[in-house]
Amino acid sequence: MYVRALPTTDVNRNTEWFTYPGVWTTYILILFFSWLLVLSVFHCSPGMAWTIVHLAHFTVTYHSFHWKKGTPFGDDQGIYNRLTWWEQIDNGKQLTRNRKFLTVVPIVLYLIASHTTDYQHPMLFLNTLAVFVMVVAKFPHMHKVRIFGINGDQ
Amino acid sequence: MITIPYLTAVSTYFSYGLLFAFGQLRDYSRRIFDWWSTNNLHGYAPICLAHEDFYIRRLYHRIQDCFGRPISSAPDAWVDVVERRTTKSTRCLNLGSYNYLGFGSYDEYCTPLVIDSLKKFSPSTCSSRVDAGTTSVHAELEECVAKYVGKPAAIVTGMGYATNSAIIPVLIGKGGLIISDSLNHTSIVNGARGSGATIRVFQHNTPAHLERVLKEQIAEGQPRTHRPWKKIIVVVEGIYSMEGEICQLPEIVSICKKYKAYVYLDEAHSIGAIGKTGRGVCELLGVDTADVDIMMGTFTKSFGSCGGYIAGSKDLIQYLKYHCPAHLYATSISTPSAQQIISAIKVILGEDGSNRGAQKLARIRENSNFFRAELQKMGFEVLGDNDSPVMPIMLYNPAKIPAFSRECLRENVAVVVVGFPATPLLLARARICISASHSREDLIKALQVISKAGDLTGIKYFPAAPKKQEEVKDTIKLD
Repeated sequence: MYVRALPTTDVNRNTEWFTYPGVWTTYILILFFSWLLVLSVFHCSPGMAWTIVHLAHFTVTYHSFHWKKGTPFGDDQGIYNRLTWWEQIDNGKQLTRNRKFLTVVPIVLYLIASHTTDYQHPMLFLNTLAVFVMVVAKFPHMHKVRIFGINGDQ
Repeated sequence: MITIPYLTAVSTYFSYGLLFAFGQLRDYSRRIFDWWSTNNLHGYAPICLAHEDFYIRRLYHRIQDCFGRPISSAPDAWVDVVERRTTKSTRCLNLGSYNYLGFGSYDEYCTPLVIDSLKKFSPSTCSSRVDAGTTSVHAELEECVAKYVGKPAAIVTGMGYATNSAIIPVLIGKGGLIISDSLNHTSIVNGARGSGATIRVFQHNTPAHLERVLKEQIAEGQPRTHRPWKKIIVVVEGIYSMEGEICQLPEIVSICKKYKAYVYLDEAHSIGAIGKTGRGVCELLGVDTADVDIMMGTFTKSFGSCGGYIAGSKDLIQYLKYHCPAHLYATSISTPSAQQIISAIKVILGEDGSNRGAQKLARIRENSNFFRAELQKMGFEVLGDNDSPVMPIMLYNPAKIPAFSRECLRENVAVVVVGFPATPLLLARARICISASHSREDLIKALQVISKAGDLTGIKYFPAAPKKQEEVKDTIKLD
């Protein structure tokens, strides 16, 4: 019932909240509740709802993890202004537990979405495209890489 | 070690997620509306990028009536809190000021001496220390502070924050290594960043992790050249102001001696407040002051004045006097403030002829221990070690921050609440600072109000200690 919160050594306030207990559970619960919400609002089939959740998850996480750069605070003097959130977490160390968890979640969502829609066409294509972009963006080799200068600095 | 109920952690993340989502929604709609209206920038760039002050605009401004409340009297045990946009003020119990020994208001020994020095010298020296800003009071102050802290010499600057941010760049530069505790104050972080040295952080108050970081860094050397470090300074604080914890100084000093690193101790909150004669964390934990290389402190907390000091060996202080910009260029500390510090130190040491100093120290220790024990009995989660006058009460959920603060203000108790950037995201808290000028009745009233506010906001995360069973006189024993 109780869990211990050890203070972290991460000084970047934009990412240190991710090292505390309870984040993973909250993330999964948010996905589950949004699936229920989509089902109740749109009256669609469960598979369609999972596809919608998967694509919305892709849009939101791509924008906040891999597109927005810098931190929402002015007083860290802009030292993270060229790094996206994904490049900032865990101080840039690759293949930590948090990064592995965040890579597995879109893959699991993709599997659920494709299974519940019976691998039918327009949904399968969109889902596959989304998960491909998501997973490639999270590779260790893509750290600080800007393809064709997209999202590069001015 | 903070123990959170798991459901509270999950609900706190949900709440912040909701606040963040609403903030983003409002930002998007603001951007759409501004598309239609013309902007009045006339070709200039905006002062800050939209996402840089997102936190201030969308989260802090929603509850900004809980922060920055103006006061209109001295910060004694009771203080006049002004209602915003009026001239009305209410007398509230002051649980937020760092008034540890009660020097924050009129004192029968210190204040007449300060007024005399105000009439003899003027409020400002109008000069830096090296030009014309050193008076006899300044010289006496530096000697007094050095003797009080237990070091050969001391240098005093006019502002506590500036002491850290101006001294650290003078002590260490590129090619040096600063290892600082993860919860160090912003002034230390700014000074360390401004120095150009490499900064590494060790887990808060964990000497084992400090040793591991030291070993790794000494083995690796400087970042690209792998040459040995020119100098290694380990920066710790005496009492951490957001946790109320006392630093594990003996272990840290022994590790630094083993690896030949310098120790920089920031005693902003602990000087004058802990230890038998108020000499700070070294006296409390039995560490020889000769083992701590640089002792820094401020006069704003226990001495009721302004400014900061650095105490160390004569060579160190001589070097600082030639090189530190806060000494060479900044205006020196105002003379009446310096006199206040000298008189406060005399009172604490009993040199004014009474034992008020010893009484104050005993009272703050009693008050802190009593208050902390009572809060823990009620079921609150209170951080901090015994004897520490700073006690944060954990709130966690962002909605409880303004609720607790406003509820306490309604009952005329002024508390300070702290939330996200100053503390980690999950761990919002209400920080109580106990003073020697709080009487037992004040503390009991504070406990009642906090208990009521705690029940309303649901922050009693631990089960309350069972009350002692009352003896009932006429029970009939059934055989």
